[in-house]
Amino acid sequence: MRRLAINLAELGYPVLRFDYRGTGDSAGDIDGHTADHWVDDIGHAIQELVDMAAVPRVALIGLRLGALLAAQAADRHHQVSRLVMWDPIADGAEYVGGIRSSIVNGGTQTSRSRVLASDGTLHFNGFSMPPRFQESISKWNLHDQAQELNLPVAQIVSHESDTFDRLKQQLSGRPGFYSELAPAPHDWNYVDHVGGILWPKPVIDAIESYFNQVTH
Amino acid sequence: MKGNIMRERVVMVGDELPLVGILCEPEKDQAKAPGTAVILLNSGVIHRVGSCRLSVTLGRALVERAGITTFRFDFSGIGDSEARRGTLTANQAAIDEIQEVMDHLQRWKGFDRFILYGLCSGAFAAYRTALADTRILATVQLDGYCYTTWKSHLMHYSPRLLSLSRWMAFLLRKLGLRKVRKGAEVSGIEEEFFEVPDFASYPPKEEVEQGLGRLNDRGLDMLYVFLGNEHYKYHGQFQDCFSGVPFNNNLTVIHRPEASHILSEPNERRAVVDAITEWVYERARAV
Repeated sequence: MRRLAINLAELGYPVLRFDYRGTGDSAGDIDGHTADHWVDDIGHAIQELVDMAAVPRVALIGLRLGALLAAQAADRHHQVSRLVMWDPIADGAEYVGGIRSSIVNGGTQTSRSRVLASDGTLHFNGFSMPPRFQESISKWNLHDQAQELNLPVAQIVSHESDTFDRLKQQLSGRPGFYSELAPAPHDWNYVDHVGGILWPKPVIDAIESYFNQVTH
Repeated sequence: MKGNIMRERVVMVGDELPLVGILCEPEKDQAKAPGTAVILLNSGVIHRVGSCRLSVTLGRALVERAGITTFRFDFSGIGDSEARRGTLTANQAAIDEIQEVMDHLQRWKGFDRFILYGLCSGAFAAYRTALADTRILATVQLDGYCYTTWKSHLMHYSPRLLSLSRWMAFLLRKLGLRKVRKGAEVSGIEEEFFEVPDFASYPPKEEVEQGLGRLNDRGLDMLYVFLGNEHYKYHGQFQDCFSGVPFNNNLTVIHRPEASHILSEPNERRAVVDAITEWVYERARAV
């Protein structure tokens, strides 16, 4: 994300990247919060960029769950001019269910780092998701929302999937829709003994190229 | 210990290709050791947030509960710090960059004593920098240097000797009928997409023992935390491994065999943060 931000800045775009509350360098923890709070955080980030860079409108780029959140934010904030979805999570309920299944069905093979707490909180590779957060995400579905997205949308994906195909079909008739397959690693849960850093350069290049196209 | 008010700010260290870090400090009247700061180091290529956000949690806990300023930053080429060109290895550059950070904090805030914290490669960097700079009064090392002992060998191999499946696997490997898969082979992801750090292998045990001897003579306070891994088998392994060093009450060893190397379990992470915070609080009060 840092490399993507630098590349877009070199194209002339002011870029802001931030951590949702309770993640990264941002304050607090995720307890007591819902995914709606994270959408609020996107709203704060939009306003910050509008104020600091003196720009009238803002494009949102979201990776996986970030794409689902960005779509929600695009719906709520009139300053959003463009939405870029990188390997989007389309179905919130399916996403949460997938994490839960991998913990529950792991059985004895389940890593110590994958825990289903008694209160329903999912602990997965160091990330925690309390029940309220799960419930809020589970209500969102990009397939349902696709027809309501009233702005140019780009879907740039690292691999092929039925979900991406379906979204593409749903959005392909809309003006300003762009789609690209940029083959790159996408196993974001892969962790090797040093933390397994992956470098999805083809996708970064594709997003940069997309912004270059829409600018010129 | 009690909860204190804290302030955080982004800090750039150096004029060209600055190192980027987060300074977190208590209010002046809450500071327990005004001349001392804790510096938290990267683990491998994980940026300053730390594995499972451990550095953020620990950095803030130290400020809020121990009243001591913390600074967590990215080495060059990691996180938000740009790569620097030069002929130094990553290991040598780490010492230089930690000293650059200490110099900056000394000039700017008047800190002249430092506690270094690191996990894995961060622990190794803490140890090496402590050897090079007497401003460091303590180190907190998670899975720092330690070597096997006769007892750890026994504990490691005894269960295997009685396991039929392990004997079968051993024979299959020796006969070339089963391949040991590593790294990219396990993930199925091609090598070109990995950003693999060039970590030096362990130095000889004798070299580390000599280094620890020097640090011990200097009176450096050391907290070693060993997490669950196949090389650290029992609580006293560190002392047995370095039995030639006459540690006194300057050494504390904690063994958390149920914890993973990156402390991804919430209860283990909480326990380790509490233990480190308590240990640093005691040292900060004593300064």
